[in-house]
Amino acid sequence: MRNQWVKREAFKERSMNNYIATFYSHFGALSLCKELQQREGAANTAELIPVPRELSTSCGVCVSFQGDDWVCAKDVAIDLEGIYRVAGGRYEELFTA
Amino acid sequence: MPVADDKKQIKEEDIAKKESTLKEEGTSKAKTFHLLLLPIVGVVVVAVALLLQHLGNPANMGFCIACFLRDTAGAVGLHSAAVVQYVRPEIIGIILGVFIFALVRGEFKPKGGSAPVTRFVLGFAMMMGALIFLGCPLRMLLRIAAGDLNAIVGLFGLVAGIFIGALFLKRGFSLKRNYDQGKAEGSLLPVIALILLGIVLFAPVILLVSAEGPGSMHAPLLIALAAGLIVGALGFITRLCFTGGIRDAILMKKFPPMLWAFIAILVVGLIGNLVLGTFNLGFADQPITHTDGLWNFLGMTLVGLSATLLAGCPFRQLVLAGSGNSDSVMAVAGMVVGAAFMHNFNMASSPAGIGENAIYGFVIVAAIVVGIAVYNTFFRSK
Repeated sequence: MRNQWVKREAFKERSMNNYIATFYSHFGALSLCKELQQREGAANTAELIPVPRELSTSCGVCVSFQGDDWVCAKDVAIDLEGIYRVAGGRYEELFTA
Repeated sequence: MPVADDKKQIKEEDIAKKESTLKEEGTSKAKTFHLLLLPIVGVVVVAVALLLQHLGNPANMGFCIACFLRDTAGAVGLHSAAVVQYVRPEIIGIILGVFIFALVRGEFKPKGGSAPVTRFVLGFAMMMGALIFLGCPLRMLLRIAAGDLNAIVGLFGLVAGIFIGALFLKRGFSLKRNYDQGKAEGSLLPVIALILLGIVLFAPVILLVSAEGPGSMHAPLLIALAAGLIVGALGFITRLCFTGGIRDAILMKKFPPMLWAFIAILVVGLIGNLVLGTFNLGFADQPITHTDGLWNFLGMTLVGLSATLLAGCPFRQLVLAGSGNSDSVMAVAGMVVGAAFMHNFNMASSPAGIGENAIYGFVIVAAIVVGIAVYNTFFRSK
């Protein structure tokens, strides 16, 4: 049982992606973070962090989250500026407003 | 059942562990970078400030964006307060330092178009608060590090203002998005700074210079210019903001890395002042301040609220302005005009206390700022 679970988690780990969503307003970031935290699956993975320097030079916060469905996050977000996939310390642009 | 419960618990724990490692991977690099860089930048900023002060800048005013913009406004004749007129090369240095650095790093991406007039008015309000308190948030930290307890009252006011601003941010405040602008739009302020530097170097007689008072006290031109270049570039790299750190602490409910820079400034500033013999604990007899606690508090509250709505303190606005953000140029313009109004209409504080008309100006401007906050929170089209 446990071995199977570990295997499944390892697979999930490979398929799970880290995303960063940036916003034009703090309210947008706060709202998406709250929304994602309320949903099951993405529970506890969404958090507010300072925007990584590579993405923007403005003084702001962004939402870091995991999952396999960033489009869903895009659809519920307001004031969204962009969504990026984080891979190996690099940011792959998925969407910009 | 207990066995199943145990398993479930193990599973949950493992998931949590995996998730936290995943989370770490994405942000650890940025985190280490900031954790190390921010305190170092704090140390550099305070060292530069103490050096400038030692070389001639006014006491506890090694670096103060509000005061320096005010002095510069006076030097070009925007106000006639004879004791505070001098083109501060630090301001020119910050703008050019950021501009050059952004160009070199390929990060010069001009943006603008997000509520320019609102930002002008908020910049005006920010300057009003700063000139009632007598210092921007950076000078507030330098004053605290020198033992000025009035500045601690100001710190409480600043936190109160940021807290009020954060309440609006949480409920939906936004000045709407910005848009990409042309390179020419972003280069204009650095060009203006360069022209001003040319006048300072080659035709200084056309500028006004104080014969006495804070405006007459200044470090040598080239050193001040170099200090501005360095601090500007560092501010651009780290996005140093003296209100953003406190705002993030309130919004994220955790200790943001930015606060390490504040702590570094306070600790190193304290040590530096003790070594240089400029530490003087107390409320009375502090250089270029007043002891009116209520107005020290309210002045900084206005700064905190305006800066939170603008998403950056005076220093951050100047750095962003140099990096091609035309919205921040509007905020800086608002600050320059605000400084002129404060002195022209006798609203700026002096060591004798607050200005004669400060109360009227404050009530009007604070009402406008609250109006801006309320409108853009509750009535903006989403």
